[in-house]
Amino acid sequence: MKLIEMEEIKKDYFLGETVVHALRGVDLTFDRGEFVAIWGPSGSGKTTLLNLVGTIDEASSGQLFIEGQEIKKLSDDRRTELRNRAIGFIFQGFNLIPVLSALENVMLPLEIMGTSFSDAREAALRRLDEMELSDFVRHQPDKLSGGQRQRVAIARALVTNPSLVIADEPTANLDSDTSRKIIGLMRDLNEKEGTTFIFSTHDQRLLDKVNRLVRLEDGMILNGGNEK
Amino acid sequence: MNKWIKIALRNILKNKRRSFVTLIAIAMGFAAVSIFQGYIHNTYKGLRNSAVRGEGLGHLTIYKQGWLEKGKIDPDKYMFSQEELKRISDLVEEDDDVILATPQINISGLVSNGRTSTIFLANGVIPRDDKTIKGTWTAFRPVKGEGLSEKKSYGVEMGEDLASHLDLKPGGYGVIMATTLDGQMNALDIEVAGTYDTGSSATNDKYIRVPFTFAQSLYDTEKADRVVVLLNDWKKTDVTRERLEDTLSGAGIACEIKTWNELSLFYLKVRGMFDMIFMFIFSIVFIIVIMSVVNTMGMAVLERTREIGTLRALGLKRRGVNLLFAVEGAMLGFLGTIFGVILNVVVWAVIRAVEPSYIPPGSSSPVPLIVNLVPQSMLVLMLFLILLSLMAAILPARRAAKQNVVDALGHV
Repeated sequence: MKLIEMEEIKKDYFLGETVVHALRGVDLTFDRGEFVAIWGPSGSGKTTLLNLVGTIDEASSGQLFIEGQEIKKLSDDRRTELRNRAIGFIFQGFNLIPVLSALENVMLPLEIMGTSFSDAREAALRRLDEMELSDFVRHQPDKLSGGQRQRVAIARALVTNPSLVIADEPTANLDSDTSRKIIGLMRDLNEKEGTTFIFSTHDQRLLDKVNRLVRLEDGMILNGGNEK
Repeated sequence: MNKWIKIALRNILKNKRRSFVTLIAIAMGFAAVSIFQGYIHNTYKGLRNSAVRGEGLGHLTIYKQGWLEKGKIDPDKYMFSQEELKRISDLVEEDDDVILATPQINISGLVSNGRTSTIFLANGVIPRDDKTIKGTWTAFRPVKGEGLSEKKSYGVEMGEDLASHLDLKPGGYGVIMATTLDGQMNALDIEVAGTYDTGSSATNDKYIRVPFTFAQSLYDTEKADRVVVLLNDWKKTDVTRERLEDTLSGAGIACEIKTWNELSLFYLKVRGMFDMIFMFIFSIVFIIVIMSVVNTMGMAVLERTREIGTLRALGLKRRGVNLLFAVEGAMLGFLGTIFGVILNVVVWAVIRAVEPSYIPPGSSSPVPLIVNLVPQSMLVLMLFLILLSLMAAILPARRAAKQNVVDALGHV
């Protein structure tokens, strides 16, 4: 079974009376353990595609299956549970909760899931240790550097052991050195744990590391299943 | 739940100035309502004591059936005979909650010092029983002079303004005149055994208390128009009335029983006025608290829209978002009311230390301004304001939770 199947996915936005066709009938599948980049110029529909795969947005038409479940048929609560259990998010702007420490941020998805405090703490500390952030667990986001924040965000995305991690421009706000470290870290996790990573990027260093590149332009796939 | 409390508390502390203004609004609102509640609690207690003990109404008054409607037209027919009085007293005093059942008679007529005359209204009471009914009230409004006594059947207590009007002092003599139940003119000598302050300028120049036997002599009767009952606890007034009604009707005595608050028109009017003022103040506080919390939480929701989007992306359900902000609202309510309690206690302590007094409308003398601390009412008010803050926080939170996650994440 494919991890993700997209059939004739279309997504339209309405800007006043103008209709913007962000995706124009996308057919795409992703297997478990893939390390995929969605690549294309601005406005090509990369973020829209990621939002749909991440179940935080709904397609205008077409079918999307994740782990064999048709997303359109799920209620908002069931979709939210699926996100919590199976999908991790890494945002361009990190999106850490400012009033929580690094540790509390990483524990959050597990606490939402209903995991006990001690188990959540243990799992979060392990992930932070993997990200070499053991010395910063009590720091609040505003006391961390950009790279440290993004590593906290990666730890948070992975703490529930999701089958899929979605990253929207994960290195866009980072310097070269930090970007290289973050890319290496994600690739290692993909190889060691078999977690599927799908991300949008313009970063050539990241594009060099992927094993599949999906090229989008004007809401259509130009190179859909290219193996590198 | 702990994590939501933690997030709520930290967000409250993060926006110190805004939270402070909201907390102050809740605290002031709480204190205003609670202090006024403490004031009217004391006032109601004072008015109750004034009616039961000061006016001598007791807790219950038993009338012969028909007295209240037709007693003025044909008093003799609707008064209790000696035999009826004895039966009623025996039956009523068997009740465990009854301290005393005593006959009384109201009289009216003219009182004179030999030179000038004026009207009077008098209550004929058994001096010993009257002392029991007055209880500690005499310490609050003491009688100047030796007061009523069984030994001096013509000794009366007179309202201070009436005594002053007639230029009579304790030990002075006068005459009172009235028509007997048969319609004959009758007059008896009196000695002013004491003067007292009725507490009301409307009655202080008219009221007299006379011994029961004296009143019977003036009206040339052996009857009484009522039996006043004193209970061991005012809270038992209504249940005891029902019980006594059953007892007396079971014994074949046709009567009607009125409670002290039904008979004290002054109490009812004052209570009605204070209840209205309370509702007015409470409504203002209600609106202030709602507006403050809705404003604060509305701003918080607006500022934290991206955070809400992130939480939703991480798997927090819509009701989870509602809960998050509800907890924050409830926390504002809780902290605000805690500050309110502190403010309330400070004001209460200052009032106790300063001991201010004032003359209420219709009162003949100053009364101390006392504010009670009523923990039960404070707790109810606290819970109500916390619930109100919680509900007010849910309004903007529901709107935020309904937002599309992508729109929320893209919010700047």
